[in-house]
Amino acid sequence: MKFLVFSDNLDNGKQIMSYLNGKGEFVVYTPDDSKEYADYGASRVVYLKGEHQAKPISELIASEIKSNGFDFVFITSTVTGRDLAAFLSQAINADIIPEVFDVKLQDSKVSTKRYGLGGKVVLEEESNGKIFTVIPGISDAVPSGTSSQVETKEIQRGNVNILSVNPKKGREVDLEKASIIVSVGRGLGKKEGIAQIEPFVKLVKGELAGSRPVCLDYRWLSEDRQVGYSGRKVKPKIYIALGISGQIQHIAGMRDSKIVIAVNKDKAAPIFQEADYGIVGDLYQVVPKIMGYLS
Amino acid sequence: MPYNVIALIKQIPDLELIKVNSSTSEPILEGVPFRFENLSKNAVETAVRIKEKYGGKVTAILYGSDRGTPVMKEAYAMGVDEGFIITGYQESNPRLTAQVLAGKIKQIPHDVVILGNQSADSMTGLLPGMISALLNEPLLSNAISVELNANSAKISSGMEKEVLELEGSMPVVISVAQEINEPRFPPVMQIIAAGRKKINIEPSSIKGNDSTKLLSRKAPKSDRKRVVFEDIDKGAQEVAKVIKEVAR
Repeated sequence: MKFLVFSDNLDNGKQIMSYLNGKGEFVVYTPDDSKEYADYGASRVVYLKGEHQAKPISELIASEIKSNGFDFVFITSTVTGRDLAAFLSQAINADIIPEVFDVKLQDSKVSTKRYGLGGKVVLEEESNGKIFTVIPGISDAVPSGTSSQVETKEIQRGNVNILSVNPKKGREVDLEKASIIVSVGRGLGKKEGIAQIEPFVKLVKGELAGSRPVCLDYRWLSEDRQVGYSGRKVKPKIYIALGISGQIQHIAGMRDSKIVIAVNKDKAAPIFQEADYGIVGDLYQVVPKIMGYLS
Repeated sequence: MPYNVIALIKQIPDLELIKVNSSTSEPILEGVPFRFENLSKNAVETAVRIKEKYGGKVTAILYGSDRGTPVMKEAYAMGVDEGFIITGYQESNPRLTAQVLAGKIKQIPHDVVILGNQSADSMTGLLPGMISALLNEPLLSNAISVELNANSAKISSGMEKEVLELEGSMPVVISVAQEINEPRFPPVMQIIAAGRKKINIEPSSIKGNDSTKLLSRKAPKSDRKRVVFEDIDKGAQEVAKVIKEVAR
């Protein structure tokens, strides 16, 4: 079987390449400049130069598919990746199965797993899908011990003008890699509460995160710290949920955490169903006590 | 300069009201009402703000079922001028959805089409690109702000690590990110007026041949320990122990 990969997220791209390694020949297209792409078993890595735009990249990939005949296309689920998958699906007239985290290939049929109903369920489907957008977790990243052939290709200008590129503010936090996350919810009650929680975050050497209401509705934390189905999907060793009720939107972003600790005033809060250790109580009373026992 | 804006709306089951059958792990969808999908609301808000700033008309299209009527009324209350509900929605078939929506959009004169970048239930994120491809109109993706000038649209696009300023010629498709705005709560008078307004309901003429077969749909198993302390002191002690063990 022949596969084509598009990745503009190195960590996820490594996982996809590791998953494909041994299943057949695969070629990787990436606008990133990391040399690491060549260490995961691809027969060829095509580094894309020029403006990072979904439509012209999809045209490049469509022409590669037409001339070299690929069976399946794997695309990292990113802003560009999802747009690219959509354009490509129209260009080569192929079905997409989106947001998959598990793929089994048998001849021309494919069975995949993805989340549905806002993360509440896993949909296991059998399809004629040829294109997949892939969320993190399809495989562990394992270098192949070989080196891929490398080339570069120029991306043509598309029908959108890029007027400027500015780094995003507040993107200093890498929640996906944090080993301890302290996450606050509506139960925090006030913006000043953040300052009261910060010493605890520091003490456990964790990263601070928040639920959707805290990051988007009240804006007590930046949107980059939002854990949830529509935010960051994290899997720390310990996830400490303070004043988070545990709506499915949130659970879907932290479900893969190793240990979950929850503090909530409401004994019936759904978060306790998703926690290993729960404390029923006011977070402003509980947190100082935990800190006391830690030091 | 006035603009004709189309906002696309999705209706989704109210996710928080879906219970899971404890013996089969399958979701119980009977009786769960539909609601306005989160990002569709941001899309409508964006469209209405454009009308308020520059003048023009907002048309909304919802591909769903006639159970979407309350959602369209809410859109009217927010400021949508005319609404179409196309019935016959098929789940998990983004290509069909895009085809149906693009077909309807082509019948309506427009300068801008606005939709959410990923829906809150399925999160496929495929509709913006597919619709842009089918209409052959440029896609300005993941907008966190929008500005229109004569015949072009300019947005700030919130990518993972960067914010891009993008520009495209009209007609243009714009997908919006959740941080673009806070959708309004319409005043009571507008809600009452919306209730009397006509909604155009049309059946979809396109049949999808969906080859995707659902093998199972179950809530993922949760193997959490669920040790809950009501004694704060005892709980704090135990939790500190767990944190120390892992931090070591």
